[in-house]
Amino acid sequence: MAEPLLRVRDLAIEFDTQYGTVRAVDGVSFDVYPEETVGLVGESGCGKTVTGLSLLGLIPKPPGRIAAGSIEFGGRDLATASEEELRKIRGSEISMIFQEPMTALNPVFTIGNQMADVLARHKGLTNSQARTEAIEMLARVGIPSPARRVDEYPHQLSGGQRQRVMIAMALSCNPKLLIADEPTTALDVTTQAQVLEQINKLQEEFRMAVILITHDLGVVAETCQRAMVMYCGKVAEQAPIAELFAQPRHPYTAGLLSSIPRIREDRPEHLPIIAGRVPDLLHLPAGCRFAARCERALDRCQTEQPELGEQTASAACFNPVPL
Amino acid sequence: MNTAAEVMEAEALSDAAAESLWTKGLYKFRRDRVGLWAFAVVLLYVGVALGVWLGFWATGWADLAGEKWEPVSSAHWFGTNIIGQDIFDRAIYSTKTSFEIGLVVAVLATALGGILGAIAGFFSGSWLDELILWLMGVLDSIPFLLFVAAIAYTLQGNPYSMHIAMVVTFWITAGRLVRGEVIKLKEMEYVDAAHALGVPEYTIIFRHILPNTSHILLVQATITFVAAIKSEVILSFLGLGVKDGMSWGLMIAESSQEVLAGFFNNFLSASVLLFGLVMAFNLFSDALQDALDPRTVSD
Amino acid sequence: MELFSYSLRKLATGVPLVIGVTLVSFLLMVYFGPDKTFELVGKNPTQEQIDEVRAQLGYDQPMVVRYAGYLREIVTFDFGSSDSTGEPISSILARTVPISLAVALPGFVLGNVLGVLLGLLAAFYRGAWPDKLIMGSAAIGMSISFLIVIIGFQILLSSSSGLNLFPVRGWSMDSFGEYVSYVTVPTLATVFVALGYNTRFYRSVIVEETTRDHVRTARAFGVPSLQLYCKLILKNCLIPIITRIMFSIPFVVISGSLLIESYFGIPGIGKITYDAIITGDQPILKAVVALTAIMLVLVQLLTDIMYRWVDPRVSLK
Repeated sequence: MAEPLLRVRDLAIEFDTQYGTVRAVDGVSFDVYPEETVGLVGESGCGKTVTGLSLLGLIPKPPGRIAAGSIEFGGRDLATASEEELRKIRGSEISMIFQEPMTALNPVFTIGNQMADVLARHKGLTNSQARTEAIEMLARVGIPSPARRVDEYPHQLSGGQRQRVMIAMALSCNPKLLIADEPTTALDVTTQAQVLEQINKLQEEFRMAVILITHDLGVVAETCQRAMVMYCGKVAEQAPIAELFAQPRHPYTAGLLSSIPRIREDRPEHLPIIAGRVPDLLHLPAGCRFAARCERALDRCQTEQPELGEQTASAACFNPVPL
Repeated sequence: MNTAAEVMEAEALSDAAAESLWTKGLYKFRRDRVGLWAFAVVLLYVGVALGVWLGFWATGWADLAGEKWEPVSSAHWFGTNIIGQDIFDRAIYSTKTSFEIGLVVAVLATALGGILGAIAGFFSGSWLDELILWLMGVLDSIPFLLFVAAIAYTLQGNPYSMHIAMVVTFWITAGRLVRGEVIKLKEMEYVDAAHALGVPEYTIIFRHILPNTSHILLVQATITFVAAIKSEVILSFLGLGVKDGMSWGLMIAESSQEVLAGFFNNFLSASVLLFGLVMAFNLFSDALQDALDPRTVSD
Repeated sequence: MELFSYSLRKLATGVPLVIGVTLVSFLLMVYFGPDKTFELVGKNPTQEQIDEVRAQLGYDQPMVVRYAGYLREIVTFDFGSSDSTGEPISSILARTVPISLAVALPGFVLGNVLGVLLGLLAAFYRGAWPDKLIMGSAAIGMSISFLIVIIGFQILLSSSSGLNLFPVRGWSMDSFGEYVSYVTVPTLATVFVALGYNTRFYRSVIVEETTRDHVRTARAFGVPSLQLYCKLILKNCLIPIITRIMFSIPFVVISGSLLIESYFGIPGIGKITYDAIITGDQPILKAVVALTAIMLVLVQLLTDIMYRWVDPRVSLK
């Protein structure tokens, strides 16, 4: 078993709101190994995006902060690293791309200008060298006529193309880890498929690890080797993909999978749903956060919080779904 | 969307949203220390002005109560001016003048802006909208002081020419804000519903849409109040403002000669009192805006 | 060529504004304004003499004709002569406008440059003490009347009760030193007053921009703060900044200068306007109004062109 590239242990992230301090992420631990694609799955508000942002120290500091835990990467703890150190890593060793390609790029500077800035800063290239590399990267992500496009402005490109530009920028300095936060959610289905294919291909070419943050289990199935399911600020289950889909252990995961509409011979009366709602982060229950909605809940679940095991496939549950 | 029940439900939802805007606003405002203090100071000034209006104090502001340029004393708290009038009384009396002007102008200008802005916004793109926009552009472009002078000429020294000039100039900002908001609001579902039910357009505008801009209008009214008071000072100083009565502007005008001779009481009294009211009102206006505007990025 | 035709089209849309402004002013000042017959006519005038003067002043003609006359004056730029001094208006303008510009320019530039800088600082340190200090000072600056600032500065800096460093009133540009000594107090007053409003506005524009997605992207790629704020964010704020600066120009030069020039005794367009208001000198007032309207239309055109230069998404159509 190779050494993990990234080790997150007991990460906790808090936000100060007008109603009190809220823990959006509470005790999350996971590893990411070199060259693997890991999915971080969960519904809106479960803390997956916040987790992704915290890896690069991008949590807005006035209301938010890393309250506890460690993020080990390349021999440093990113959770306590200085802004200066983090800036050196951002875009060079770890890159991040975001959900909204339409607004992610600076509208008043050319694409070439924005890409060259990253290249100049992290690889020390001159302007003309950077421009040449930018054109090359654009070609690699499948943008036609890159030499012309490099001098264009973001508003002259489509959403899918802008996302490719983001990917090109993110990969231009050959990072070891790419964090992709819902990269295809804002795109139409056809473009989604193209962009995901692009990410897969580039991941192999550049030999980097990818953390794919998404709520879409279909996307996870297509691209990831492993996945972690988050619920209400904690990791509920982690497993290799095939196992996760074939034999989910955590009742939440099982619920998610069964609620995906599928073409089946036996049509069910109603589409299965998970009853109840996600608990309010200001009023968390004492025990397991999923207990109120769980059909398999035991008495124990109301008062104790289950922990995730260290095995490759484990669930934070006292009464997991039988295999 | 074509049953009365659905319209009422949609309306109730929008009312609930509006109500929660005000209740949330009140809650936020109550936790704003600076805003509360500012409000207290404003109330203090209101009390002073009311007292003057009701005749409780400062009635002797025009009397020749003492000697020229008396210093601060227990008889004359701020001293006397060049002809022996009590400065304190004059300064207090001017509070009432300021409130009179500020309130009248703020209320009328905001009302005018709200009405014309709502009409322009609702019929945006049409000739009516273009006309109102043109009017806004024109009135905005005429230099204010010139405009006041022109109105004063035209109305042959009517004591309200200053008020009229202010209302005609200050409604524009409110008008533009309301117009922008109405353009957004008229896309809401309850408007479609009301249309489909045959509710006349003017009712839609004034009973359904305009009340949803009331938070904007309130904040703008406070801004207009301050603008009116500050303008009055300059106008009175130039002789274009308050004619009978006393105001801080007139006091400053009086004092401009005194000051070069080394007597500052008159100038300072008016300036400090004016500053106090304007500053408090500005802070109050800020706090109000923070509390009511759901999208402001304040701090 | 494209620029030229765009400019013509834009200027054409400015015509309704000019007409509106001049019409309103004309109606207020000339048509409904005071009857000047009796000023020009001697004692015990005969009906004949009265009629003669009225014809001279054009009072016997219909409004449309008289207004058309005003429009002709604007187009030919010949407003006649001042009622009080008899000096031709064009010569008055040629003499006073440069002075007003010389008085207003330093304060205007400083007020905006400092405003943007302070706004940047406040936005960068948002929520921390530098921000609160800057915003607090801005609130105070906004709350002191311009008049009080002018008088206050005059007392503090120019009078014998104060520092007595600068002349109390007057104007001379004979040497650079003289220029500086006469322009300093007015400039300080202008900057003091404008800074409060400007800083608040610029801060809010900049802070609004920091919430945008592309700023998060820039941070995610390690852009250092100085570059982030001064290059990436600022360039995106240029449209509202330019709009504000450009549209305040006509007013700074004409209205703003009125108070400063009359108080400091500076013979610029503001002082002339103020005197004209007091004496009822219509030709001057008509000229000033027309000038303001034309400046506004020109400013609108220039602003549109500057938008294009600053933001690639804006097109000249």
